[in-house]
Amino acid sequence: MTQPAKETYQKYTQEKYTSEFLRNKLKLKSLETKTSLFEKYPHVKKFLDEKGLDLDKIRKHSAKVITTGALTGTLLFAVPTPSRNLPVISSIVKNITDFNSESSKPINQEKLLTNLREILPDNVGPLTRSQEKQIEKVINDVIGVNTKATLEGEHLNTTYGFIGLEQHLARYPGDNVTYMAPGRGAWGYFAGSKSNLTEEAIEREKWYVAVQTLYLPDWEERLSYVKDWYKYRKVLVVNTANGNAVIADIAEAGPAAWTGKQFGGSPEVMNSLGGSRYTKGAVVMFFVDDPKNKVPLGPIQYNNIDLKGVTMVEV
Amino acid sequence: MSKLFFDNIIMFEEVDKAIKNVASSTEELNELRDIVDGIVNHKVVEKVLDKLPKEHHEGFLALFHKCPHDEVTIFEYINQKSGRDIREELENDLKSISSDILHELSPKDEVSEETGVSKK
Repeated sequence: MTQPAKETYQKYTQEKYTSEFLRNKLKLKSLETKTSLFEKYPHVKKFLDEKGLDLDKIRKHSAKVITTGALTGTLLFAVPTPSRNLPVISSIVKNITDFNSESSKPINQEKLLTNLREILPDNVGPLTRSQEKQIEKVINDVIGVNTKATLEGEHLNTTYGFIGLEQHLARYPGDNVTYMAPGRGAWGYFAGSKSNLTEEAIEREKWYVAVQTLYLPDWEERLSYVKDWYKYRKVLVVNTANGNAVIADIAEAGPAAWTGKQFGGSPEVMNSLGGSRYTKGAVVMFFVDDPKNKVPLGPIQYNNIDLKGVTMVEV
Repeated sequence: MSKLFFDNIIMFEEVDKAIKNVASSTEELNELRDIVDGIVNHKVVEKVLDKLPKEHHEGFLALFHKCPHDEVTIFEYINQKSGRDIREELENDLKSISSDILHELSPKDEVSEETGVSKK
């Protein structure tokens, strides 16, 4: 049943009023914040002007500093805890090979977790290239999925971070499901209409993740290429607390850096990683190297082994 | 990759939720996030400078320019020059900034100046 014209108009103006109203409020707040800082500390404005630095765009500057440091090999992510003796890849591989040489046992989640714990830093944060290479090897050998931290020159904002629960995305215009986000995802609808909704599109929305494409160093400059490259790109997500793993696809941009999280997961992704009450946790996320599109979306089955102190979630 | 030194102590989930509820497109969402990002960055710099003696302001700003992502180096500098561990203080400041922004984002009853009647 269509709404009367007057009500539709009022709803439209109310929605427009709300978002425009908020944008203006935030812009005013932004102006107040800048004025407060620069009036209190005029020398700060002078310093920033001399350096050509805009605090509104400091994240972009940070991305350039980090990229430049990585390219010149001068970047060292300071480890807040005493540096660890990273295990040599050969010893990790030996652990895996010794295990695999025994009779055809199902994939051992404990081996995966043990190896990850040896490699990952104490604090959740960006990994070094060396750490990423070791994790690629472990994942490829234990889980059997070919993953890459850097694929075709592309690298996520981070490969080790916190994932948070996201809402469902609208799959087509007029879609209405429980716990659905307002508006469309960053890459729009998954289908033009309900009648065009394919099984593939359903699966893509069901197993989607959000990644921080908005913080890639040259996202804006390469927008067209990057947007296309990341659309529905498959990733492997591993819960580093319990070893649960899922193949997901990128279908949303975010979350914002100031949420304390670096990734988002659909309700199904989060459920498969940690159960129905799992809303935030540390994960590693790597690209799946799957040029022939053979790796299906969804959870990767592990044997159910009760590890001491770790709740295993049946997937 | 992009990171700022205070990213690990900032958790503005409620702000992001509020923005997501309002934004009608990804472009709008990113625009609002950018504005909040700017507010947070300016506020954090102000709060840090409040805790530092003036003679060390430029040292902090130079570090922030050189390695804005380096949490360890920057916090070490601030703690050393302020004479205390300011991490927890800064976390509390950030909570207060979050409340402030949420307060701005919460709808208020707009009253018409002409009639004195609520516009709702």
